[in-house]
Amino acid sequence: MTPEPAFLLHKRPYRETSAIVELLTLTQGRVRAVAQGVQRGGSKARGILQPYSPLHVTWSGNGELKRLRLLESQGSTALLAGEGLLCGFYANELMTRVLPLEYPVGEVFSHYALTLEALPSPAKRAGALRRLEITLLESLDMAPRFVDEHDAPLDAYTHYLYHAERHCFRAVAPGQGGIDGRSLKWLARGDWEAPGLAGVAKHVTRSALAPLLGERPLRSRELMRRLAERRRTS
Amino acid sequence: MAFSPLVDQLLETLRVLPGVGPKTAQRMALHLLERDRDGGRRLVASLGEALEQVGYCQRCRTLTETPLCTICEDARRDEGLLCVVESPADMLAIEQAGGYRGHYFVLHGHLSPLDGIGPEDIGLDQLDERLANGAIEELILATNPTVEGEATAHYIAEQLRGTGVRLSRLAYGVPMGGELEYVDGGTLSRAFNGRLPFAQESS
Repeated sequence: MTPEPAFLLHKRPYRETSAIVELLTLTQGRVRAVAQGVQRGGSKARGILQPYSPLHVTWSGNGELKRLRLLESQGSTALLAGEGLLCGFYANELMTRVLPLEYPVGEVFSHYALTLEALPSPAKRAGALRRLEITLLESLDMAPRFVDEHDAPLDAYTHYLYHAERHCFRAVAPGQGGIDGRSLKWLARGDWEAPGLAGVAKHVTRSALAPLLGERPLRSRELMRRLAERRRTS
Repeated sequence: MAFSPLVDQLLETLRVLPGVGPKTAQRMALHLLERDRDGGRRLVASLGEALEQVGYCQRCRTLTETPLCTICEDARRDEGLLCVVESPADMLAIEQAGGYRGHYFVLHGHLSPLDGIGPEDIGLDQLDERLANGAIEELILATNPTVEGEATAHYIAEQLRGTGVRLSRLAYGVPMGGELEYVDGGTLSRAFNGRLPFAQESS
């Protein structure tokens, strides 16, 4: 095979000197492979095989678990630190939890790369993550449709709740919370990065992702929440 | 031909050690049984004793059979300096390199949300306590330069916000005697970002 652009999502030690890696690849989606010898001290690949670093890889094998062959770094790694790093963990955890193995998601790959570029600047973080989430949902046919349960367009003056099974919105009586139709109409136009809509956008993508994630919480989200709590109390 | 059940069992058991496969296990077992039974007995005794008695230091969490390890007991060490490392092996490496005269705190791991390892799994609550009742002036974050190590350092830094403790992180650099040409890009770019003023001669 010709070398394939890829990002490392996760690496865990396997046997003594190898690792099992989860990669996000351009044409094959999420791929799981054994990287032999990368945990050995002095292994050159060890420094290359790091999350957030653009890679070129090849692999062999027909089963679910491939064998990683060639590994090259391609360009410079996003220098993530602090909260940006935790957001990166979140993106990676989301990919490993939601994407089926070897399900091609080229769009997600490019948005993942864009997200990594955006993560170092705090102002761009939330928007980039929402964009990535929505691309992920679209590629899995789970994206929210901005209509009500009768497929009628949303009304700017009504409040809505997300209907997870039908991927649409359900009107709620006034005073019962929900999201205002006006914000949803903005989101429908693809305005996921607008600062004023950050809260609403987060709520919508989170509700839409919930059925894919199931009961088990995202550990990176948990970590960020605890850190925020700590910051408030200190 | 197979060995007797006891020998087989020994071969199987020896393989719990890292780096020991079937061949090595066989060599070890035959060596002990045929040539060095005394050595074998000493091995059993010291292994038994170590497993029975070695626990964690109450202050720094490194491996020791006493309540406090020798470093924590040492009155000559600087009480104001605390170095946070991921493993006892890292601590040993720093000790062997010499030059550091402060205390340590061993995490036994790093934060890794994707593996389900959170702050409580690496003793960060205990670190909190240590900082609350100690006279720590500077905390040195010596976690590994991996994304997990960085995340751990970040978390600890947030923990310390507003406490007045000075925080420092190990620098990234080019290995001694190394050649730039062969250093990986990540290390090189960080070494560049963290470049220091050129010191003419330390006065």
